[in-house]
Amino acid sequence: MSKYDYSPGGRTFYWVYYLTLVVIAFSGMGQMPILKRYYIADLPLMTWSANFYTVAWLHYLVVALLLALLAWRFTLNSRIPGKVAWAWGPRSWWGWTLLAILFCSGVIKVFKNLGVYFPPSFLVVNDLIHIGSTMAFMISGLVRLFLKGKQPAIG
Amino acid sequence: MARNLSRRSFLKGGAAAAATLAASPLVLPQAVQAATGQELCTVLDLSKCIGCESCVDACREQWQDTVLVPQGPMPKPFPERVPIEDWSKKKDVQDRLTPYNFLYIEMLEIDYKGESRELNIPRRCMHCLNPPCVDLCPFGASRVEKNGVVHIDSEICLGGAKCRKVCPWHIPQRQSGVGIYLDLMPTLAGNGVMFKCHRCLPLVKEGKQPRCVEVCPEHVQSIGPRSQMLKKAEALARQMAKKDGAGEDKWKDYVYGLEENGGTSTIYVSPIPFAVVAKAIDKQHREIKQEEIARVAKKNPKKAKRMKKSNLGRPHMHRVADAMANAENLTYALALAPVAGVVAGFTKLFSKLNHTPSSEASSGQDKGGQA
Repeated sequence: MSKYDYSPGGRTFYWVYYLTLVVIAFSGMGQMPILKRYYIADLPLMTWSANFYTVAWLHYLVVALLLALLAWRFTLNSRIPGKVAWAWGPRSWWGWTLLAILFCSGVIKVFKNLGVYFPPSFLVVNDLIHIGSTMAFMISGLVRLFLKGKQPAIG
Repeated sequence: MARNLSRRSFLKGGAAAAATLAASPLVLPQAVQAATGQELCTVLDLSKCIGCESCVDACREQWQDTVLVPQGPMPKPFPERVPIEDWSKKKDVQDRLTPYNFLYIEMLEIDYKGESRELNIPRRCMHCLNPPCVDLCPFGASRVEKNGVVHIDSEICLGGAKCRKVCPWHIPQRQSGVGIYLDLMPTLAGNGVMFKCHRCLPLVKEGKQPRCVEVCPEHVQSIGPRSQMLKKAEALARQMAKKDGAGEDKWKDYVYGLEENGGTSTIYVSPIPFAVVAKAIDKQHREIKQEEIARVAKKNPKKAKRMKKSNLGRPHMHRVADAMANAENLTYALALAPVAGVVAGFTKLFSKLNHTPSSEASSGQDKGGQA
């Protein structure tokens, strides 16, 4: 077994994870009013992306899928003797930290969307942290992909 | 009038408790605000409005000069289809919402029960309890205060107009060529600043009344703690329903804003049912738009074609479902997803197939691919 290839569930889970990240990034970026402006919503089968509500609910759904995947991984990891390197998921403390920041700032946004009051200036900082850590997560993944060639790992 | 305990309020309560435990000085749930009387609400008795526009004039006098004005040539946005919206040379427009006009009077002639009735409706931001413009603004420029005021921070707004698109009434209006986007990437991102009624937030913070409430000679509007205002609106609506011969139990037909978009802090009470009012507004808006399009078509047919989809700056008055209702259901999905993952994980662990790294490696199964 090579260093990064433990993937119970096989290739399906591997690709589901990366597809989830792509859709999360797309629906997250789509929260900014750019998809219509830059003709993405004009592409065939992409008309829905001009609707901010649809994009927001899609973001919720794919994040739920990611949470399920990560919970599944943690559960399996808890019973595996010794250290294993998973084929998918963050592979460094940096990646996990960014994911944790994204999770915490995302939870605050979810509460806000339910109508819970937070001070406006706190929300601005939270939004910037959410956007900033997303960018850092994506850039880290891309850098690792291009530098290491073989490993499309995030973080 | 008691608030019903909905699934949303239950979730909000749970969320509030969690947030308070995590960071008690930072957060205060809306339910608590209402209970402590901090959340303010306005009630508009439309039977009193004579359409004198004193409120509109007072609002303009107080706030028009605070709205930014473009300095120098306006950057040409890319791509070209991004519209430039410049109201700086049309500041005198006061029969619709513009960046320089936060309030206008919708003047209606309604045929109702065989007679022509006049109804004047001051229109401005509804100040929703859970405003989608605030929830979905990606940069936190759109804000809601403890006192229920929804406002836009012009210092950080990039003018993408998402708030206008997600607002059920399309209230915020854009002024291009102003704001922070000019210092970032004026051609590629942003397009000005969004402006709308902030219910005189700076004055309210000083304990004063909003200008539109203060100057009204007919006392159309009243402002106060939400619980009191809800009682007042209900009592008024019951009177109007009775007077209209509809029966008091139909009082909600004479109220607008109480349940719209999950509840707002602007509650209209009308002597004519809002189903009738909404139709009359639609008819009037269609006529206004047709006139505008015909006028523009004479000079610029291409622009007239685009106008069919353009924003009229005049909000409708149809019943509005809670735009953020899906957030509640999807929050359940977010909460349950990790549980499902853990259950699936344990199912796999205790299944007959013993999946350990060594067994998977040796069998060659469950091996992740490499991109």
